[in-house]
Amino acid sequence: MSAASSTPPAIAIETLEKRYGDIRALKGARLTVAPGQIFGLVGPNGSGKTTLIKAICGILKPDRGSVRVLGLDAGHDRYAVRKRLGYMPQTPALYDDLSPAENLQFFGGGFRLPDLNDRLRAVLEFVQLWDRRNDPLFTFSGGMRQRISLACALLHDPELLILDEPTAWVDPALRQDFWDHFSELRSRGRTIFLSTNQMDEAMRCDQVTIILNGKVLVTETPESIHDRGKAKVTLDLSDARRTEEFANYEEELPRLLTEYGLGPQVKRISLKRQTLEEVILSLIGESIAGEEQSTESQSGKQAQP
Amino acid sequence: MIRNVHLIAVRINRQFLRDRRFLGLSLIVPLLLMLLIKYVFESLPGLARLGVHISDYSILLAAYLVHFLAYILSTIVLVRDRVTGTLARMFVYGYRRREIVLGYVAGYSTIAAVQTALVLILTKYLFDIKLASDIVAIVMTVLALAVVSVGLGVFISNFARNEGQVFPFVPMVIIPSALLSGIAIPIPDLPQVLQWCSYLVPLRYAVDVLRGVVLENRSFFDELTPFFVLVGVGAALLASASLSLRERE
Repeated sequence: MSAASSTPPAIAIETLEKRYGDIRALKGARLTVAPGQIFGLVGPNGSGKTTLIKAICGILKPDRGSVRVLGLDAGHDRYAVRKRLGYMPQTPALYDDLSPAENLQFFGGGFRLPDLNDRLRAVLEFVQLWDRRNDPLFTFSGGMRQRISLACALLHDPELLILDEPTAWVDPALRQDFWDHFSELRSRGRTIFLSTNQMDEAMRCDQVTIILNGKVLVTETPESIHDRGKAKVTLDLSDARRTEEFANYEEELPRLLTEYGLGPQVKRISLKRQTLEEVILSLIGESIAGEEQSTESQSGKQAQP
Repeated sequence: MIRNVHLIAVRINRQFLRDRRFLGLSLIVPLLLMLLIKYVFESLPGLARLGVHISDYSILLAAYLVHFLAYILSTIVLVRDRVTGTLARMFVYGYRRREIVLGYVAGYSTIAAVQTALVLILTKYLFDIKLASDIVAIVMTVLALAVVSVGLGVFISNFARNEGQVFPFVPMVIIPSALLSGIAIPIPDLPQVLQWCSYLVPLRYAVDVLRGVVLENRSFFDELTPFFVLVGVGAALLASASLSLRERE
């Protein structure tokens, strides 16, 4: 058996269910994250992204299903799991009256890091806030707090980083730095699991999961999700315009072009592929329509005598 | 464990010292309330005619004030930690439930101790009472009560999802404490059912000790039973708070 095959998945989630009162936040979600990947979680607000992240971090008790993190049970072995993961929640979750250094010393203190001060300096320099290390956090902007929150998640150099919308409120230049750092962490074998609403970020992930209403719609590479999209080809002819939509334009485009023989009557050809965002939105739309249809047919069956 | 408890207590006190307005209010409000109590009750001539001297009750009222403020403070702050996500982050960063509960108790008990000292000093001079022989018993009892109040606050905060949900719990503790602890009405004068209920009120045990020592001139050794019951209630509350602190939603 090879070493790679004996390495457990970084995250393995099976039929996870969670209910808050009448609301089913997770409805049998399942996914597997291979180690050493940047894994993106994409979905509209309220789709269950944060609930899923909390289950991975062992701060949510699922009603059903299992979550294994780095080969351990995220519930039963949560203390062992937490030492090996870094968590950045959606809101900064830091103490405003304290400085970045004090916040990091406090949270890092829980792990008893022997080189805490060196690590603290390294992560604060990375998020470019070392010079402001002693200022109270309430004087910081939203983006700066996010940076401190990320620094906190990186403090103990964890094997697995769980980041809930890490670049929200962060300016474009620093966002690029974050992504460069994520790539560098991946090259060192670290796994990064992040939720995002930015499609350019989803494109930079190795795998993307689309989650909707607590269910995983699809888990694929961003390229193959993008390839599910349609392409619109428009031919401007000398006397008309013809527009066709192709699900698989690479195979279907030659037929269209053969039909016109690419003669002088073809003045202009334009091809517009759906963006990843449009593909994801249409997948979500199709899923919602499918659910509505099945609900209607079920209620129709019940109404029949 | 002790190291993490210490880290939490230091963090709480550091935050408290940074928040000047909160610090000022927490320390000055009890003093202003004691002044208010003195002037309101001294302006009621009927009390003196009935032989009731407010100075006799001043230590009991001071204990009630410490109980009330320490309870409210610790309840709200732990709920705030839950709402902002810092409590969840503490769990993810290796802090355990018992460490968090003991850390909060240690942190807020330090603040409550400062409140206690200020209130007792003011009470002594304001009401011109002699505390020399009783001071150890009074300080130990009020400090134990402060720890119990913080433990009660931490325990109660486990049942509130946000700061707004804390408020219904405030009168639930504070009004029975005023009526059933023996401060306002001596416990033997209460109906039998309420006398039984009074055993559930932690303030009752502190009042038993303070009544005995301050009003009835008994020694602290004569009042060790209610004192140890108070300590036991504190230990039970801390254990309950630790067990009921939700680590996982």
